[in-house]
Amino acid sequence: MNASTRAVGSSAATALLVIGVTIGGIGSAAAQPGDYSTLPVDPNLITDSLAYNAAPPVINPNGQPGVTAVYNHRDGGRQITSTILVLPDAAAATAALNGSRAELAGKVANGQTQPAAVGAGGTMVSGMSPDGSKSVTVLTFTQGNAATTIEFDGAPKDPAPADLVVELGQKQDTAIRDWQAA
Amino acid sequence: MRKFGMALAVATMITGSLATAQTAYAAQTSHDTNVYTQPAVPKAPGVQMLDCGGTTGAMGCGPGWFWRDGWRGFSCYPC
Repeated sequence: MNASTRAVGSSAATALLVIGVTIGGIGSAAAQPGDYSTLPVDPNLITDSLAYNAAPPVINPNGQPGVTAVYNHRDGGRQITSTILVLPDAAAATAALNGSRAELAGKVANGQTQPAAVGAGGTMVSGMSPDGSKSVTVLTFTQGNAATTIEFDGAPKDPAPADLVVELGQKQDTAIRDWQAA
Repeated sequence: MRKFGMALAVATMITGSLATAQTAYAAQTSHDTNVYTQPAVPKAPGVQMLDCGGTTGAMGCGPGWFWRDGWRGFSCYPC
């Protein structure tokens, strides 16, 4: 193998490496753009379109990569809080969600747990706040490396309907998948 | 005498008609002629649910539904 052949081989290897890194890098960068503000799904998509007012989203809540969005009902009696954490991988997302579920025991008194057809491991817990002042329903699920928690707070006798909880969760799941695939 | 005969003739006609009718009726119904009817069972008093206001509902929600501002905003919700 002469010098020119070695040079060609080396150039080809370098080109392949650059292409590989570029393609891989583009894929990762697209999945983790860092701008999480567009991730939460506005609940007005499944209402009369004006029922909820959105507060400015909180980026990286508690120092964790992700976003929290709070939606208040115009009558002041209902609130929906969506938190989406974007973690390094699916295992980390599952671990984070397990931690959140463990904390629910102190947040939802007499909580009734049931599976929900949302994302991976979708679970819905419904009950009352510990002081009995409001109804609380929490939907949790993962989608790839994203761990999502959506909390619905309402009057004691006006808990969030299960079909609304699941519908919003499914729309949120779809939005996360689209964001990850972009 | 003529009056008596007239009255007798009329009486005979009436009696004959009745006898004929009875015979015809007997020929048509050879079984028990009593008609039995099933007495209606009285229903317990009840209330048919309409909407919470007792009408067909505002905004056309229909029976059992009520228009209010709820989790889905303004919509029909069960009473």
